[in-house]
Amino acid sequence: MTTIRRDGFTDAFFDHARRGDLAVKRCAECAHWHAPEATGCHRCGSETLTWTPVAGDAVLITWAKVHPRGEGEVQHIAYVELAEGPWLHAALDGVDAPVEGLPLRAAFVRPEEGEPVLVFRPA
Amino acid sequence: MGGVAIAGLGMTELGKVYGRSARRLAADAVRRAAADAGLALDELDGLLVSHGMGGSPGIELADTLGLRDLRLLTAMNAFGATAGAMVAHAAMTVASGGASAVACVFADAPLRPKVSAGAAYTGSSRDYLGYGGMMAAQGFRSVNALYALAAQRHMARYGTTSEQLGAIAVSTRRWATMNPLAQLRDPITLADHQASRWVVEPLHLLDCCLVSNGAVAVIVTGADRAADLAQPPVHVLGWGQGHPGDRRERGSAFGLTTGATLSGPAALKMAGITLADVQLCQIYDCYTITTLLTLEDYGFCAKGEGGAFAASGALGPGGALPTNTGGGQLSGYYMWGMTPLSEAVIQARGQAGERQAARNEVILVSGNGGILDHHSTLILSPTGR
Ligand SMILES: [Zn+2]
Repeated sequence: MTTIRRDGFTDAFFDHARRGDLAVKRCAECAHWHAPEATGCHRCGSETLTWTPVAGDAVLITWAKVHPRGEGEVQHIAYVELAEGPWLHAALDGVDAPVEGLPLRAAFVRPEEGEPVLVFRPA
Repeated sequence: MGGVAIAGLGMTELGKVYGRSARRLAADAVRRAAADAGLALDELDGLLVSHGMGGSPGIELADTLGLRDLRLLTAMNAFGATAGAMVAHAAMTVASGGASAVACVFADAPLRPKVSAGAAYTGSSRDYLGYGGMMAAQGFRSVNALYALAAQRHMARYGTTSEQLGAIAVSTRRWATMNPLAQLRDPITLADHQASRWVVEPLHLLDCCLVSNGAVAVIVTGADRAADLAQPPVHVLGWGQGHPGDRRERGSAFGLTTGATLSGPAALKMAGITLADVQLCQIYDCYTITTLLTLEDYGFCAKGEGGAFAASGALGPGGALPTNTGGGQLSGYYMWGMTPLSEAVIQARGQAGERQAARNEVILVSGNGGILDHHSTLILSPTGR
């Protein structure tokens, strides 16, 4: 398992994650919800996005399996749509029969070292 | 505005070409394109430059070539849509009198000896930092992952199958077997496609394009002037761009439609033709799914029926809509938007030898950049208006 370390720009995401909360960004001016990697609001032009916790309810949009070259495990990735609207780049855990619209819920995998990894599991 | 034509095509050796920088390759391609047109290098008065992931060359290429008193010099970047955008910009400049002979060049040299093609394009960084680093740890480490998600969405929504994507890989390779410039010329079967390793499921290795070093250039000039030059003119009848600005949020069309829905009709309208007039397609095919989506979005088949359209054999030799007749980026060479453009020029001139399409009167050329985010279209013809 690769170790994830903080970068100084997205530390708030991991502060929330260590408490078990999923935080995404919300526009301070128009309240539009954004994915964590957003740097500004495409709806109103504001550059002020605020880390805001959400419940973590989502549905599956699309999925894929990343196959390793040589050693390593297959990784299940996805786009999921949060109830608030943004799509997140996601890892899937325990989704055996993926289908569009499958209800999912955010969770965090806590490695021994480094920051948690966001995963989505069947709700 | 007067008519505009492509009068020259210059291509370096393509593929595992080592020992020459992207800038040097670009200079060689421009020299070859000018010579192909029958122009002296100092007759060029415009230069448009584009580069791949390496970030070189830029406008210093003019200095490398010793070009003087240029009236147009710009680096352009719309990712995989750049070649079409460059030809359009050159055409408008020539038509308005801003310059008379404009070279448009792309060069890239991502391959290094003893490094795999995948590593050449994704880098080898193991720094998993911040939220982006977490995404990498989740499995988002390459463009392949995102195109696989696009393909899977199309599959889930419309029933598109891996075998249908494989039909595109097979027909494109059939064309490549007849192109001496193509990097992969051994025929493949659908079984070969299905047996090729998963890159990111549902994409097999044979759903993914090559990686190539090299450079390609074209010369854009007035149609009247082109008629007096060395090669048969390839008339530029129409162009368009489409950048839908898709947001990955509720309502996103990701994996379902692309900017070809904008750029296609714009280019056809400018050319004064309809889709039914198109006889030959050169489609940006970074992945088989890109070909499928682009053909659907232009309207060659209904939305969702691209898989069946490809499986019908329409795209291969003898098919109703010969597509990627040089082997495309899947089997030919990966020169971004210059791959479909160069093959279109060769076909329009009637110089494609064994693979020459019988009907080449109207050729559609597409560009695609980002993750299906940026699109360009050109309409080319051996006949001017
Ligand atoms: Zn806003």
